Amino acid sequence: MIAQLIDGPLWLFSAWFFLVVALWRLLVILFKGRPKSLAKPRNAPGGALATIFRRFLPYPEFRKVSRVRFWAGYAFHVGLLALLFFAAPHVEFLSQRVTGFSWPALPHWAFEVAAELALGGLLFLALFRLMDPVTRFISSTGDHLASWLVFLVMLTGCFALWRSHESLRLLHLFLAELLLIYFPFSSLMHALTFPFSRGFTGAVYHRKGVNI
Amino acid sequence: MAVNMEIFHQFLGQIAHLGERAEHVDLPDEKRVALAKEIFHQNIKAEQAGDLESCMHCGLCAEACHFRVGTGDPRYTPARKFELARRVYRREIGPFRWLYRLVTREITIDDLMEAQELVFDSCTTCGRCTLICPMGINVAGLVTTTRHALANAGLIPDDLAAVEQEQGSRGTVFGAGAEHLRKALERLAAQGLEAPLDKERADYLVLTSVVDLLLFNDQLASTVKLFNRLGVDWTFRSNAYEGANFGYLAGCGEVQRKATLRVIEEAVAIGAKAVIVPECGHAYPALRWEGADLYGKPLPFDVYAISEFLGLLVQQGELELDEALNGKVATYHDPCKVGRHSGVLDEPRAVLRKLGADLREMPNHGLLNWCCGGGAGLFVINRTVPLRRAAFEIKKQEVESTEAEMVVMACGSCRLNFIKGKDEMGLNGEIVSLVALVGEHLVRKSEPVASGREE
Repeated sequence: MIAQLIDGPLWLFSAWFFLVVALWRLLVILFKGRPKSLAKPRNAPGGALATIFRRFLPYPEFRKVSRVRFWAGYAFHVGLLALLFFAAPHVEFLSQRVTGFSWPALPHWAFEVAAELALGGLLFLALFRLMDPVTRFISSTGDHLASWLVFLVMLTGCFALWRSHESLRLLHLFLAELLLIYFPFSSLMHALTFPFSRGFTGAVYHRKGVNI
Repeated sequence: MAVNMEIFHQFLGQIAHLGERAEHVDLPDEKRVALAKEIFHQNIKAEQAGDLESCMHCGLCAEACHFRVGTGDPRYTPARKFELARRVYRREIGPFRWLYRLVTREITIDDLMEAQELVFDSCTTCGRCTLICPMGINVAGLVTTTRHALANAGLIPDDLAAVEQEQGSRGTVFGAGAEHLRKALERLAAQGLEAPLDKERADYLVLTSVVDLLLFNDQLASTVKLFNRLGVDWTFRSNAYEGANFGYLAGCGEVQRKATLRVIEEAVAIGAKAVIVPECGHAYPALRWEGADLYGKPLPFDVYAISEFLGLLVQQGELELDEALNGKVATYHDPCKVGRHSGVLDEPRAVLRKLGADLREMPNHGLLNWCCGGGAGLFVINRTVPLRRAAFEIKKQEVESTEAEMVVMACGSCRLNFIKGKDEMGLNGEIVSLVALVGEHLVRKSEPVASGREE
């Protein structure tokens, strides 16, 4: 019965909850409105898209101080995206329950590389958050909870594949559903809000003649 | 171009006692919290909401902040500086405010006092942290909102509050007034430099600052020489000569508005086509980027920072300078508010190259320059001295790595901070104002005359 709950109604609830609440959080940001500046601009409106994409790489002056977090962060994010959308069990799950169509999955060796990158990157960042004096000082309980919950979801996913046991698969799915419910309330929402923060700042600076 | 160090130290002495003059408003703590929250409710729109929703405490901003790097203290991490804004947003404004009110504690006066040190003492709103932030968070914008909130709650640090209150009541600062402007111009006239004052109509309204009147006379003299040499129709106005805006610095919206409108209304009254802002970092964005919004409509005149104006003249071939610097090694310190925040990066460099300087850039220059640590009103807040020293050490190393014989700048606050830094900590190289340098090297023609007359 628990298995049916996790595989059925709880999956539906968590997926819809994530979509509705995440969208709600984004709309509340947008509906706050932006005051219009009357100052004579240096540039025509723009700059938002450029900053959204430019920010994927650090300025050369910052490369040394951001190197470790840059590589660990990309290892985690790229690995996670690869797993989420191209790991064979996920392709099967999503094509059956969400999209109605399938797509090519990663070969097994690529899946293993992605898993190692994602797990290794996240573990490094989670430990960095605990050990670096700055991040230890500024991090909240929510920041730690988000890191370790994502880690547990990924870890149980790897175990489920490794051992091919139904209970491990259900544990992985249950934790993923908890993550979907927690996601819109957490700092994980940066995954969806980053275009706003980068874009608004880029537009403001561009107007003043500065491309950042 | 040497600054009179005796007068400089007298100026510092005046600053040391500023806080004694601040007037305090007695308010219950709950009222202060309510007044602070009012500003957050008013000011947090989509941009700042997007910023507050995106910070995931990665800590990278700490690597870009001169106060955090200079002291090594994680307390000064930029992400912490908008923590008050974030907490108010979550509890009062954000989409889950009903939830946060259940699980987080109410904002208290202690939170406001903690924020006071973070946003006034340890932030010059230089914006360098925004450039390293992967989320592109406009930290300076959030700190400015928090300054406004604390100002509304009557919690501006006393030293800064004293100057802001003086500008609010008298229209000028540091005890100076129109009489000081007149006397300064009389002194210049005695040296053969006539400056028009209070012309009823003029194309250019030129601003100055009390720091130039009292201390940086070279900047004032060079400004007069320049405009006379250009032969344009220009004037100072004794009713609106001050470029500095301590309302802007202190986060006091009403004083900011008064100081800005004073200049705008004067410029409109004389039919000015342009207002020239002196070498003063914050004065430029206060008028250029926020003036129109306070005026309620687009400004009917252009606004130029004087460094920007000089550079444009050079780039357009309209300013003749000798190349007497003759390969002298110089480096340029970008004032954050004019450079990173306003895009005036190439123009000052064009001037230095025209003067024949061998321009050597600091490792972090232009958009990525390190702040000198003296802006945003910090120079008048006495308790920030240890923080400013820690920040200046970074700048000192940047300057000295160029082996420049002179470090040129176009901001009075920066120049004050550099002079103090050199006096206390040593600095290789001469500290030079860009406009003062230009004034020394204008191509000699006949004697300068007052504007509007034929040479």
